[in-house]
Amino acid sequence: MELWNHCENPYPFVPNEVLEQAESVRASLPNKYCDPKIAARLYDEVFDEYRLCDDIGIHIVTNEHHSGINNLWAASPVITGIVARLTRNVRILSLGTLITVRPDPVRVAEEYATIDVLSRGRLDIGFVKSGATEMVSGDANPMRIREREWEAIDLIEKSLTSHDGPFSWEGKFFIHPHVNIWPRPYQQPRPEFWAATSDLPTCAELGRRSMVNTLLFGGYDRTRQAFDAYKKARVEAGLPAPGEDRFSYMAFAYVGDTDEEGLRIGQKIAWFLTVSIKSAPQFSKFQPGAVAPEMAPQAWRTGAARRPRPTNLDAEILVGQGQMFAGNPDTVAKQIKEFRRRVGGIEHIIMMTRQGLVTHAEAEKSFTLAAREVLPQLQDLPPLDADETAWLARRGAAAE
Amino acid sequence: MSAASDRLRAGPHELEVLRRGAGSGGAKLLLVHGINPVSPRAPFLDLLAEHGEIIAPSHPGFGNSPLPADFDTMYDLVHLYLGVLDAVPADKVTMLGFSFGGWIAAEVAVSGHRKLDRLVLVDPVGVKLGGREERDIAHLFNTSPDELNRRAWHDPARRPEGSYGVGWHTAIGEAMTDSEMVTLARNWDSLCLFAWRPHMYNPQLKHWLHRVTVPALVLWGASDRIVTPDYGRAYSRLIPGARFEMIEGAGHHPELEQPRAFVDQVASFLNEPDRRAQPA
Repeated sequence: MELWNHCENPYPFVPNEVLEQAESVRASLPNKYCDPKIAARLYDEVFDEYRLCDDIGIHIVTNEHHSGINNLWAASPVITGIVARLTRNVRILSLGTLITVRPDPVRVAEEYATIDVLSRGRLDIGFVKSGATEMVSGDANPMRIREREWEAIDLIEKSLTSHDGPFSWEGKFFIHPHVNIWPRPYQQPRPEFWAATSDLPTCAELGRRSMVNTLLFGGYDRTRQAFDAYKKARVEAGLPAPGEDRFSYMAFAYVGDTDEEGLRIGQKIAWFLTVSIKSAPQFSKFQPGAVAPEMAPQAWRTGAARRPRPTNLDAEILVGQGQMFAGNPDTVAKQIKEFRRRVGGIEHIIMMTRQGLVTHAEAEKSFTLAAREVLPQLQDLPPLDADETAWLARRGAAAE
Repeated sequence: MSAASDRLRAGPHELEVLRRGAGSGGAKLLLVHGINPVSPRAPFLDLLAEHGEIIAPSHPGFGNSPLPADFDTMYDLVHLYLGVLDAVPADKVTMLGFSFGGWIAAEVAVSGHRKLDRLVLVDPVGVKLGGREERDIAHLFNTSPDELNRRAWHDPARRPEGSYGVGWHTAIGEAMTDSEMVTLARNWDSLCLFAWRPHMYNPQLKHWLHRVTVPALVLWGASDRIVTPDYGRAYSRLIPGARFEMIEGAGHHPELEQPRAFVDQVASFLNEPDRRAQPA
């Protein structure tokens, strides 16, 4: 298995009374609450963490969000380009730039090709559908973003893999009559594609395209369902069964010297859920496209736009739900192995560790322990028992 | 919400339609709805039907009208409504456009149609008049429902039950049924498809309103803060010969807040002689 470090570079320094009064901590919170001197220190610290990860064999994930306390990575390709020059060894996944917000996928392809060359072929390209406050910050129509995302992916792929002069694209959402990016990517035919989703039809499409499917905090059952949809789509399309390297999962993670330390510092990561996702109703449950119309009564009456996020944010509960890996190195290795068994196989674990109020020193300690004492326990794992995973799948289907 | 039974065919498109006052022999009144279709419970309907036959389709994607594939621009709606005018069995039709539907009606009037006889715009959106840092039209999707509700009504406490205007989200949890919510969600999604960006206007429309040749009445709720009366006055000045009238005690939906005053204004306009110069 492989371990990845995903840091959103949050800004947890806005006074609580400001956050409590704000209708949303994303999209509309004034940037006077962001001190650029503090931001500069945060950038330095996180880039230092990336350098450490490069030395110890933990791969790096970048992303972007806009106009809020949850994320200071305003442009994933910019940050990923810096990481490409700061590091020498590990893989770098941009997960990703917001392709449903950006007007020209050809520019996105060109930026990624540049990073792939800069990094000598260490780039993986991830796609996220985005939504919510990002549609407002980027003034992107929130309707039909799934169709827009797929057309953007198709255009990016064709831009990365066409080498014989300009081609023309006149699609539903994007028009570019003269596509001819320079440089072309270092990896041939192109860098690996990933997508973050738990939407079952989208997982099925990822399966047909052999893209890496990653889930974010989905817990055991949702993750299992998503991966099963991926595998089923491949069977139905007559494609070979996917390897575990097609599957990825992002969880909150903290590796301490002891279980107590892991859970205590892991608890600080819950800031992501308790504070950083506060959003106004017009940016969430009432945003067009947030729910299918037939689901609106349920969503609007209960207040949840999508499946409810976990409400019990105690670190031990999050661990029990498969949303956090925390404890001493042996405990965390056991948790990850158990997760792999319950979801039917997985190669990539993305650790969200430097999150919320977790400090630079605490993050570096966790990464060091993860690389030195957890990662070796995750190598050369025996194949999963096919009978047992089939039984788990049936039980999951029956529970639906 | 209206029953799905009554339909109107316009070319290849079939629309849900609400009719009232059929057989009256009066004017044909084509209502072009705003963010939601006209509710059959709206009190102004019976009052207005005394002055003509009301034909109120639901736009594609609204109410029970299907949304054709790839149908998502104002261009589509304008040509659809030109087709609706073709389909109305009359030589002369008065179009009344409300809010977002006022934008559609203004576009149709600019395009012109031989049957279009008169135009009534009620708190319409559709044009950009202020400077680049002035917001002419409140952003319906980025503004909180509570704020929209405050801005849209003269007195939010007296919103008519069953008619949902801007700020309708704040009525969830009152008497709203599940099926109403499903329809409102569908309407909201479709509105977004057509009007997210530029938000509720066509940057070019103001250059072409001079081509409107039919008598026009522009009605405005005096308390409208979704689009203000000042915006309305400037809008009406772009339409040759248009008359601008305010309705007191009403916000963005004067037909819902002051149905009697609204209908009186429309009736008086319908009875006015056509003052346009007759062709030689």
